[in-house]
Amino acid sequence: MSDRIMRELSDRFGDGAFAVQPTADKIPTLWVAREHIRPFLGFLKNEAPPGYAMLFDLSAVDERQRVRRQGLPASAYTVVYHLLSFDRNEDIRLKVALSGDSLSLPSVCDIWPSANWYEREVWDMFGIVFEGHPNLRRILMPPTWIGHPLRKDHPARATEMAPYRLSDEREDMEQEALRFVPEEWGMQRHSGDSDFLFLNLGPNHPSAHGVFRVALQLDGEEIVDAVPDIGYHHRGAEKMGERQSWHTYIPYTDRVDYLGGSMNNFPYVLAVERLAGIKVPERAQVIRVMIAEFYRLASHLLFYGTFAQDIGQMSPIFYMFIDREKVFDIMESISGARMHSSYFRIGGVALDLPEGWDERVREFIDYLPARLDQYDRMVMKNSTIRRRTQGVGTYTSAEAIGWSVTGAGLRATGFEWDYRKARPYSGYENYEFDIPTGQHGDCYDRCAVRIEEMRQSIRIIRQCMDNMPAGPYKADHPLTTPPPKARTLHDIETLIDHFLNVSWGPVIPSGEACVTVEATKGLNGYYLTSDGGTMSYRTRIRTPSFPHLQMIPQMCKGLMIADLIAILASIDFVMADVDR
Amino acid sequence: MNIEATLVSDLLPLIVYFGAVLAVTGVMLGGAYFLGQRHSAKAANEPFESGIVPAGDVHIRFSIQFYLLAIFFVIFDMESVFLFAWSVALRESGWPGFIEALIFIGVLLAALIYLWSIGALDWRTRRQRIDAQKSGRRE
Amino acid sequence: MNTGLGGAMDIIGILLSVIFVSAMLIWVERRLLAVWQDRLGPNRVGPLGLFQVAADMIKMFFKEDWIPPFADKPVFVLAPTIVFITMLTGFAVIPFAPGVGIIDFNFGLLYFLALTSLSVYSVVLAGYASNNKYSMLGSLRAAAQTVSYEVFMGISIMGVVMLSGTFNLREIVEAQRDGWFILPQFAGFIVFLVAAVAESRRAPFDLPEAEQELIAGFHIEYSGMKFGMFFVGEYLGITLSSAMIVTLFFGGWLGPWLPPLVWFCLKTAAFILFFILLRGSLPRPRYDQLMTFGWKAMLPVALLNLLATGAVALSSA
Repeated sequence: MSDRIMRELSDRFGDGAFAVQPTADKIPTLWVAREHIRPFLGFLKNEAPPGYAMLFDLSAVDERQRVRRQGLPASAYTVVYHLLSFDRNEDIRLKVALSGDSLSLPSVCDIWPSANWYEREVWDMFGIVFEGHPNLRRILMPPTWIGHPLRKDHPARATEMAPYRLSDEREDMEQEALRFVPEEWGMQRHSGDSDFLFLNLGPNHPSAHGVFRVALQLDGEEIVDAVPDIGYHHRGAEKMGERQSWHTYIPYTDRVDYLGGSMNNFPYVLAVERLAGIKVPERAQVIRVMIAEFYRLASHLLFYGTFAQDIGQMSPIFYMFIDREKVFDIMESISGARMHSSYFRIGGVALDLPEGWDERVREFIDYLPARLDQYDRMVMKNSTIRRRTQGVGTYTSAEAIGWSVTGAGLRATGFEWDYRKARPYSGYENYEFDIPTGQHGDCYDRCAVRIEEMRQSIRIIRQCMDNMPAGPYKADHPLTTPPPKARTLHDIETLIDHFLNVSWGPVIPSGEACVTVEATKGLNGYYLTSDGGTMSYRTRIRTPSFPHLQMIPQMCKGLMIADLIAILASIDFVMADVDR
Repeated sequence: MNIEATLVSDLLPLIVYFGAVLAVTGVMLGGAYFLGQRHSAKAANEPFESGIVPAGDVHIRFSIQFYLLAIFFVIFDMESVFLFAWSVALRESGWPGFIEALIFIGVLLAALIYLWSIGALDWRTRRQRIDAQKSGRRE
Repeated sequence: MNTGLGGAMDIIGILLSVIFVSAMLIWVERRLLAVWQDRLGPNRVGPLGLFQVAADMIKMFFKEDWIPPFADKPVFVLAPTIVFITMLTGFAVIPFAPGVGIIDFNFGLLYFLALTSLSVYSVVLAGYASNNKYSMLGSLRAAAQTVSYEVFMGISIMGVVMLSGTFNLREIVEAQRDGWFILPQFAGFIVFLVAAVAESRRAPFDLPEAEQELIAGFHIEYSGMKFGMFFVGEYLGITLSSAMIVTLFFGGWLGPWLPPLVWFCLKTAAFILFFILLRGSLPRPRYDQLMTFGWKAMLPVALLNLLATGAVALSSA
């Protein structure tokens, strides 16, 4: 399959127009000259039949300190475009090399609307300019920040910088920098016969689900325009990846989508295993699937409750929290931790399942379906909920793909595509489950799809429980963490491996791999670059919530504040997942 | 019904009661005023707008639909006062009174139907109407 | 006119017990919602948490009496007292039982309607005086909502007036000796109930403060005792509305075996619980849906109910 697109590209642009780079994830990776990037992307999206419809990710790497890059074109900064084709069921990665003295590229916002925020992020993090971008300004860092954090020469630890002090003057200056200025976004302050009201909804607002601001331009209660403003929850998760060993980074991933727990470990450990060439034993694979589906349940239950809560229904969230606690009880009995279990390890999982785990799991999956039916009657069949959410915040499949929307938000438009089915990982091909879809792409359908996904998750968990294979819970491979210890006192090789892997952490072979999973909120991918060290050279986290928020203005224009709240609730985002 | 002039002496309990209510209110506000602590903080003296500096002003010219509503209120609430009078005098005014009230309410309903049909009672925004139409009726 | 009304005992007793009941309702509501939502609710202060309200009251007295420098100060202070005073004053005409009450007023019903309309000023003025955008949006919503529901609240209870032939609440209760007005006036009851919830601005019609949308709406800048007055005023409002519903549609103090006052209190308590249950179960409609419901459903129903009642009353007379 992948040869086909290479052929099409060389037919169109000639053989010398790109260079191919082999990668561990087998995604075709091409180096393209800066002046060719727009024609290439335009061709891949619009002309290559069938095209690559979605801009899955857009990121960059500071290559200046990379040692093992034999055979790759010279580059100080590399911008990476990751495209996804649903029809081909294939990805492609385009890279553009930039030298340190001319850090600019043409913008592709006109090809994919979702490129807007991605390009702003790359500008913010690397200082790479996108020419023709409508509003290229910082997105994750404060507007007053000096420097570009993901550059290798930017400090990574607080101890590398002068101590931070917040004087009154500095606080005023920082606050003033956050003031919303409508003119910067091309907004008018007055219309013909009335004035617009500008309102900050967030960062401290009960329905903003974390620290998130939507600056609203209002005409009475009607939303004329909206500007989502993110970055208040940015913790530098990608930068931290460059300072943590491959193993000790796992707990950080739990906190990216902090409602998804070990679901976040999943793409990360899969990507490391791909780089290291570790084959995970079957039992570990099934355990991982089961844990991931449990966290999907936990996340969706919380979504469901807050969805009803945001529409003004007070009680459901308390019932759903009780169910969610039961999920966490099971997680605790398996891993020892509740919300952020960090249970996955490179090569398997941390511990084997405890005795009697199947009874607790069975008890829960026998209990939950009846509760879900009750919630249906309480929430989804309620006529006010229907009136508030049906036909509100609608978009079509094509719009969703253009804005890089994945997960339930995409399936609610009737687009039947689930990563677990399309590209099974960790043995998902062995499970029977359906892909729930909606029809209208509105708030109601987004909720309904997630509810049905919970029923499917229960189905998957039941299959895991009934068919749990025997065998090891971790691969017997020197690069697993913690490394195998059984034979350390019998042969010197194992002892050395163990000693090094425990004291330094495993040394993962150089290369690149991006692995994506169907996470709780959409497609979550970890794009890891190893330079053959004990730490990642570049950790790119492609989270689903980031592009979802970008679509808010389009979804809420012309509606009322109450509709915006319903839309925010239906997106199911977590600010940590957006800002990382 | 006996509608004679109400004497001030009949109202005396109400006046005393009202005085007592005022006294309670005064004690509550006054007590809090004298007992409450005092402090000053920089950010406390700014209006709350989701914890960030405000954008633009509160004092603006409003869109017209709020005034429209005020007019409806005046029309319908004033006219309902006539209905109050009819209700209490229902038996005295008899069937002729009923016919008159019927005409009156008929006119009111006609006005309501007219307002309804020209869309003056539709408080949705334009996009809400379009979206509702597009998504259609379900189930 | 009844005698034995409006004595010193009546005035002090009613005033104190109404305030006490409304304050305790805060505890009742929190505990009840907690029970329905599988939680515990306030249970730490005193037995069963019963002293919670007392503790809150003490705290409110000692909290900073803060008036925002950017607010319109006199109006800002005045606003919460309006709802408190009008709601308390409204109890003057409530016929608790024969011989128990403040005043026997021929225009009792009109008096009640007048006071409930006044209470909206509280919310609207609070919103404007706060000089805060969320408050202002809240007060705009409050004005629109109350103004709309005002219209048919009055019309909905005129059926009762037709049947009893008086605005005097005690005579209305006496007129229900042969049967409560809930049966002939069911439509009127429903409309009045909806309007009463809307006028009290409680969930599901709490659009002016809509936590999820406007954070706290009209009282976002209020704290301490002035916030407390809004809070208690809300409970006074539902107590008053429940008492009115009982008086107009459920025979007031009438009932067998038990003393009249007990009957009145029991019936009122049942409706207060109903208000709390409503809050615990229903989601909030959108502004336009609320308005549409009022103007296109409730108003015509109220008007038609009035005509039908008039026709039936006349032909049976």
